[in-house]
Amino acid sequence: MRDILAKLNKTNGIRGSMIVNRDGIVVASDFSVEVQESSIGAVASSILSALEGALKRIDMGRFSRFIITGSENKLAMVDAGQAILLVLLNRDVNMGMVNVEIKEAASAVREKSKM
Amino acid sequence: MAFLDFITQWRTNSRIKSLEAALQVRPTPALYLQLADAHKESGNSQKSAMVLKSGAARFPSAPEIIRRQAEAEKIERENEKKRLIEKIQTHPNPILYARLAELFKADGELERTVDTCQKGIKAFPKYGGTYLVLGQIYVEKKQWQEAAAQLERSVELDKYNYLALKLLSQVYLELGRPADAAQRLEDILYFAPGDEAILELLKKSKEKAGQPFGKKTTAVIDQPRPGEAGARKTIRIGKLAAEQKGAATSQRDKQLNDGVATLRAVSGVTGAILVDQYGLVVAADLDSSIDEGLAGALITNVYRTASGNATKLNVGQFEEGLIEGERGNVHIVQLDEMILAVFAKSDVKMGLLEKSIRDFAVLVVQQPS
Repeated sequence: MRDILAKLNKTNGIRGSMIVNRDGIVVASDFSVEVQESSIGAVASSILSALEGALKRIDMGRFSRFIITGSENKLAMVDAGQAILLVLLNRDVNMGMVNVEIKEAASAVREKSKM
Repeated sequence: MAFLDFITQWRTNSRIKSLEAALQVRPTPALYLQLADAHKESGNSQKSAMVLKSGAARFPSAPEIIRRQAEAEKIERENEKKRLIEKIQTHPNPILYARLAELFKADGELERTVDTCQKGIKAFPKYGGTYLVLGQIYVEKKQWQEAAAQLERSVELDKYNYLALKLLSQVYLELGRPADAAQRLEDILYFAPGDEAILELLKKSKEKAGQPFGKKTTAVIDQPRPGEAGARKTIRIGKLAAEQKGAATSQRDKQLNDGVATLRAVSGVTGAILVDQYGLVVAADLDSSIDEGLAGALITNVYRTASGNATKLNVGQFEEGLIEGERGNVHIVQLDEMILAVFAKSDVKMGLLEKSIRDFAVLVVQQPS
């Protein structure tokens, strides 16, 4: 899993990434900045719960991705099957440039999680 | 002099950029304080306050940041109170009263809080937010019966009000009514599933009520109450205000509703909703199959979870969210004290939608809210 993150983190605009299971437990992480991994994992799990509930009630189908833009950075939460891929990005990153890499990484995580 | 001012401003901006970069690599309380000072020097006290808030969230044990943040918030509150008092005179609406009451409450001015709530309720008796603030005061005073009365009224007016439902359940526990508490908590879980704090309270309530605690909830919130059969219960602040007040407020309501309708008209957009800080719908244009109140509550729940934890997620202060599902997207944008949610198909033209949202944002911020 770390190899997937290491490859993803080489993309311009990405400050780090991690994989958590749906309960928020950290599976792997790789950040170039200081972060509180366990906090991020736990929060991601709460957000996922709120998102899945909302999407179900308003009939938008299964959760795919949630991108938060903040005053300092962006964070992408991506469905990766049994896990969630979290990617920390520069605030002003062009999402079009990183979308492909993030999608590939999520697919790779999904495949590995099945094993 | 103008040239010197330019040089000073340029130096301050450079310092701001280098402090922001340093914070990204290794945040420390000292860096947050320096950045806040730099923003204040450049004349941006709002940004300075935001930096202090982020710093305090990240370093809750750093005394200097906490002190400075408390100071900055107090100044902001005083300025906000003055602004709200003026606006209530010229362009009253129920949100202003509730917000002003909250500010008095934050400064411990309980009598003024109660007075403002009572005036707000008299002017706008069908807005649930004011009853919630009054309920909170009675909870602080431990006047449980009075608290229950206000909170019940708040929930009656807005059945998806998370804060009111949660507080009411806690009041019911104080009053020895655990079964009623459990019911309200199950209502919350209908639109905020998996909420850990609520699940904990529910477990406690069910134990006290001698009821089994299982994963399946029995929310009655989605069933119409007597006399409500089939009708959607949505509080339209502007519409209520228009019934009671003059042209200024109804014009605002019309402009917000027109703005929301304009968003809905963008190709690929299936709906738009604007909610206030309590999750109450201010303006909406949605498919008739969607309950506005429920949509508002769901979006507020996502917003609250994401924005409340934005610092832990290392993104700073929450600004926008984009939820992508199998069958569409939801764009969530914070606009002043309100939250806009735009529902769209997966193939919506993002550039066009973002421009439309920015145009709407200008409209909202310009409004005498």
